[in-house]
Amino acid sequence: MAKRAITINVNGTEHPVQVAALDRLIDVLRDQQNLKSVKEGCSTGDCGICAVLVDGKLVNSCLMLAAQCDGRRVTTLEGLLEDQTMKRMQGSFIANNAAQCGFCTPAMLMASWDLARHSPEPSDEEIKVTISGILCRCTGYYQIIDSVREGCERGER
Amino acid sequence: MPTLELYSPTDLNDALRFMDHDGRNAAVIASGTDLLPRMRRKQISPSVLVDISSFTEDLRYIRQSEGTIRLGALTTVTDLLESPLFYGKLSIVREASMLFGAPQVRNVATVGGNICSAASSEDLIPVFMALGANLKLVSAKGERTVPLKDFIVKKRETTIKPSEVLAEVNFSPPGGHSWTAYEKLGRRNMLILAMVNEALSMTLEDDLQTIRSARVALNRVSGKIPALAVKTNDFLEGKRVTDQTITQAQKVLASELSLTSDFRGSGEYRTEVAQVYLRRLVERCARRIGGPS
Repeated sequence: MAKRAITINVNGTEHPVQVAALDRLIDVLRDQQNLKSVKEGCSTGDCGICAVLVDGKLVNSCLMLAAQCDGRRVTTLEGLLEDQTMKRMQGSFIANNAAQCGFCTPAMLMASWDLARHSPEPSDEEIKVTISGILCRCTGYYQIIDSVREGCERGER
Repeated sequence: MPTLELYSPTDLNDALRFMDHDGRNAAVIASGTDLLPRMRRKQISPSVLVDISSFTEDLRYIRQSEGTIRLGALTTVTDLLESPLFYGKLSIVREASMLFGAPQVRNVATVGGNICSAASSEDLIPVFMALGANLKLVSAKGERTVPLKDFIVKKRETTIKPSEVLAEVNFSPPGGHSWTAYEKLGRRNMLILAMVNEALSMTLEDDLQTIRSARVALNRVSGKIPALAVKTNDFLEGKRVTDQTITQAQKVLASELSLTSDFRGSGEYRTEVAQVYLRRLVERCARRIGGPS
């Protein structure tokens, strides 16, 4: 099938890409942009492991067609490695042993970073809602909740 | 995924022209959070997807004018949560939105998509049914308005024509001494499709005891589609809110429901839960109408 040319801003850089009609955002990010922090789990929106930010909103990249991202701004964990809030959040995840197998960690970090930006002192309820769409297969949720709380607290705005 | 075409119209009129010619084999895609998994599971096999997701100027809005609240079909669930309109009497919309999917889904999933999905697990359909919502359907030839309560005819089947696109959901907020409430049961609190969800919009007379109108809607009444519990609503009208009334209404509801079992729960359990929810909803609405708002 004919591919179409689109432009997606990925982590601050405009990338012209060729996509087939039904290529998903996750396909472009992983296969064309080599951004492997974006994991593919269920492919049906149930596990949230593929979460990225599109125009600043957390979305499941397995449920979004790449063609629908033409002209939009996509942020993955790779794009936030130098970000101070993200550095604090990562440090907090490490300090609290919040990663066991690590498969959900990039998505957890993206969701937590998004929360930290808006909410410096989130309640546990807010944290739970924030990560409610991301499945941790190891079920180490308490360490993750602790990490997010601390990662947000340390963030100055 | 199967090979099929994606049509990205230049504007809504272009989309409607396309649907007028080729709508029969087309599926409209907004966020795709429901459509894409269904296509993956081969539950639906359109030959072309018509992408309306970029028409946010035309179809993504929350407006209130002359007493009517109008939601563009591309309004996201997050938009509903961020709107100042859905507090107080209309907090039902917030309550249901908070229990809708998870943040990543709420950020993109649309009001129009939820309604057109027309399944018995959609969070917003019973809510808008309880609010007496109407749908505005547009096509290249014009537009028409249909009540949501008559829109869904079978599981995943609506009265929308192949040439039409859902453009707007609108409703008049309940006036007078009224309140709304929502209950949902799934196997977990979040990111779960409902086994039972139930919505109520209730208005009392000036005596704050007699029910002027009650609209209960559930994800399933008979068959696997959301609907108003018509007999229960008729029963409640004109009755005083008492323990006895509610107990009787629960029996009416149970007789009105014909629920089947599936992997989410048995019909018997669903019926039991629906009755418990009816009591909670009526009591909560009555309390809120009587109390400070």
